[in-house]
Amino acid sequence: MKSIISLILLSVIALGIAISLDKIPFGVPKTKIGDYYIDKGREETGAANIVTSVVVNYRCFDTLGEVTILFIAAIGLGAVLATRRKKEKREIEPASLVLYAGCRFLFPLILLFGAYISIHGHLTPGGGFQGGVVVASAFLLAYLGCRGRRVSETGIKTVESLGGLVFIVVGLVGLAVGGHYFLSNFLSKGELNSLFSAGVIPIIYIAIGLKVGSELTGVIDHLVEESE
Amino acid sequence: MVSPVLLIVVPLGLAFAIPLFGFISKRIVKYIPIAAFAFNLAVALLLIPEVLKHPIVVRIGGFPPPFGINLVAGPVGVLFSVLIAVAGLLVAIYALTYIKEGSKEKYHMLYLLLLTGATGVVLTGDIFNLFVFFEILCISSYALVAYIGDRAGIESAIKYLIQGAVGSSFLLIGIGLLYGLFGTLNMADLAQHIESASPISVFVPMVLIITGLGIEAAIFPLNAWLPDAHSSAPSSISAILSGIAIEVGLYAVVRVIFTIFGVSSIFMFLVFLGILTLLIGEMCAFSQKNIKRMLAYSSIGQIGLIVFAMAMATSLAVTGGLFQLVSHTLGKSLLFLAVGYMIYRSGSMEISSLEGMGKRMPLTSLAFTIGAFSIVGLPPFVGFPSKFLIVQAALAKEAVLFTGLIGLVLLGTVIEGAYFFRVVQALYFKKGNGDSERNEAPVTGLIPMFIFVTLIIVIGIYPKLLTDVLNSAASEFLNRIDYIRSVIG
Repeated sequence: MKSIISLILLSVIALGIAISLDKIPFGVPKTKIGDYYIDKGREETGAANIVTSVVVNYRCFDTLGEVTILFIAAIGLGAVLATRRKKEKREIEPASLVLYAGCRFLFPLILLFGAYISIHGHLTPGGGFQGGVVVASAFLLAYLGCRGRRVSETGIKTVESLGGLVFIVVGLVGLAVGGHYFLSNFLSKGELNSLFSAGVIPIIYIAIGLKVGSELTGVIDHLVEESE
Repeated sequence: MVSPVLLIVVPLGLAFAIPLFGFISKRIVKYIPIAAFAFNLAVALLLIPEVLKHPIVVRIGGFPPPFGINLVAGPVGVLFSVLIAVAGLLVAIYALTYIKEGSKEKYHMLYLLLLTGATGVVLTGDIFNLFVFFEILCISSYALVAYIGDRAGIESAIKYLIQGAVGSSFLLIGIGLLYGLFGTLNMADLAQHIESASPISVFVPMVLIITGLGIEAAIFPLNAWLPDAHSSAPSSISAILSGIAIEVGLYAVVRVIFTIFGVSSIFMFLVFLGILTLLIGEMCAFSQKNIKRMLAYSSIGQIGLIVFAMAMATSLAVTGGLFQLVSHTLGKSLLFLAVGYMIYRSGSMEISSLEGMGKRMPLTSLAFTIGAFSIVGLPPFVGFPSKFLIVQAALAKEAVLFTGLIGLVLLGTVIEGAYFFRVVQALYFKKGNGDSERNEAPVTGLIPMFIFVTLIIVIGIYPKLLTDVLNSAASEFLNRIDYIRSVIG
C-alpha cells in the first residue's frame, strides 16, 4: 500500500516536471547569459576554456561555496567517525606483488596527471575539481597496493587549510586592489591560450586542486581507518 | 566603507584556518568562532544606517548582474545578519565550556560554517548561490546533529539527512527549470521576467522550490525531522538550529514567494498552513514529557505563527512576522541554552527530573522562566509586542475570517502557556528527589544567558529600537519593484 502511494506521488511530481520541461525549447540558443559568456568570456577573463571562465570567474563565489560544501562533508564524516569506538584490529593481508609493483609505478604518473589537469584548467577541459579527484585516486591506489602505509593527517589538514586560505586571500586581494570587487581578476590576463594567462584563474584552480585532493584523500583515510 | 561580502568571507576564512590555529595551540581554537561573530556583529551594525537609506548591491568579481553573482544587503539581509551574529557570538561563548567531548576542532569548524552558510543565504541575490549556501547550512547541521555520536543522534541525523537531501533535490530541480525558462539565475532578473511566462510552467518550479525550502523551514507537513534532530543535538546546536536555521529557511521561502514569484494567489493557502503548523506544533509540544522535544515542537508552533503573519502580506503583518522571528530567536536560543545545563546536572531530559531545579540552579531557572514567558508573550518581554503586532495586523484586515483565525492563534498561545507554566511550576514549586545542593551553571554559560535576558527585556520595553529596521525590512519584502530596480538599475 505504501509503495503504491509513493508511486502515485512520484508520478505526480514527474508529470509536473514533464509539463514544465515541455515549455522549455530544446536546443535553441536563446539564453542571453549563455550568449554573453560565449561572446565576451575570452576577452573579459582571458581563459581559453569558457566553462572555466564561468566557473572560476563569473560564478566564482558559487565555486567557493562548493569547495566549502566538500570541506564540510569531509570534516563532518571525520567528526561522526571520530566518536565511534575503535574496533579490534584485523589482520591485514599484504597486497599481491602485481598490485604492489603496479601501484608504485602508477602512483607518480597519476599524481602528475592530476597536477596537469588542475594547472591547465583554463586551457583544456578539466580543472581543480577534476584534478583533485585524480590526485585522490592515486592515494586510494596507494592504500590498496601498499597496505599499512598511511598519509600523515597533519599534512592533509595543512594542505586543505592552505588551499582554502589561498582562495580567500586571492579574493580579498581582489577586493583591496582590483577595483574594490571581491574575487576580481586583478592580475594581467596575458596571452590567450598560453599557460601563464587568465590572471587569477590558474592560481585559484591550483588551490582548489590541492584542497579537493587533500579532502578526498582525508575521506579515504577516515574510511580505511574505520574498516581496519 | 566596509563591504557586506566580509560578513561571509571572514568567518569562512577563519573556518578554513582553524586546523592551522590548532597546530599552534589546541586551546585557541574555541575562541575563533567568538572572534568571527564579534567581527560580523560590528560590521553588520555599521552597515545598518547606510542600508536603511538604500540597499547595498555588491558585485562579486565586478561583473554586472545578471552576468555575475551579486549580494543584496538590504534591511532584511542586514537584520538577519545581525541576528545570526548575535546568536552565533553568544552560543559560541556558551560552547567554551559546554562542549567537552568529541573532536572539538571539528565542532568549531562546523559551527562557524553553519552560520556562514546562514549569512550567505540571507545576503545573496542569486538563486543558485542561495542553493549553495543553503547546502552549506544544511550539511553542517546534519554533521552537528550527529556530533554526540550516540544512537539517537546518528539516527535522527540520518533522518534529517534523507529528508534534507530530498528537499535539496526538489530545490535544485526547481532552480534548473527556472533557468531553462528564463535563462538567468539572478533573483531580480528572474522577478522581472516571471510574468512573461505562462502561469502553469512557472507553477511547477515554484512548488518544487517552496517544498524544498519548506523542509528546512519546518512548515507542516514537512517537519517530521525536526523534533528528533533538535532534541538529540548538543544543546548549543539545538539553540542555533531552532533560533537560526529554521528562520533562515523561512526567510528563503518568503523571499522566493514575495520577490521572485510575486504571487498573491497562494497567500490564503499559506495562511491556513501557518495556522495548521501552529496548532499541531503547540498540541504536540503539550503532550511531550521530554523537555528538548517540547521546545522543538514549540519551535514548530512559532514557525506556524510567523508563516501566518507573513502570508497576511500587509505591511503591518510582515513587520509583526519579522518581529516575532526576532523574538523567537532570542527566546528559544535562551531556553535551549538554559535547558542544556539543567539536563547536564540532572542527567535526564525528562521534565519530571527537572523538579526542584529552582533551588539547585536559581540563575539558570530564572533565565529559563524569562525565556518561557517571552515565548508565551507576556509583557514586559519581547514576545509581547511581537505577538501584539500580529494580532493588530489580523484585526486591521477587518475580515471575519482573520478575526476567527486570530482566535485560533490565541488558543495556540493558551496551550503554549499551559505547557511552559507546567515546566516553570516543576522548577520552582516541586521538591526534587535528588540532591538539592546548589550547583549553578558555569560563568561562560550564565553570561550568554543573561545577555539574552537583557536583550529580551530591553527590546520588550522599548520595541521602538527595532521599529525602523523592521519597517524597512517589511517594505523590502513587499515592494518587489524597488528590489528589482535597486539590483538591475
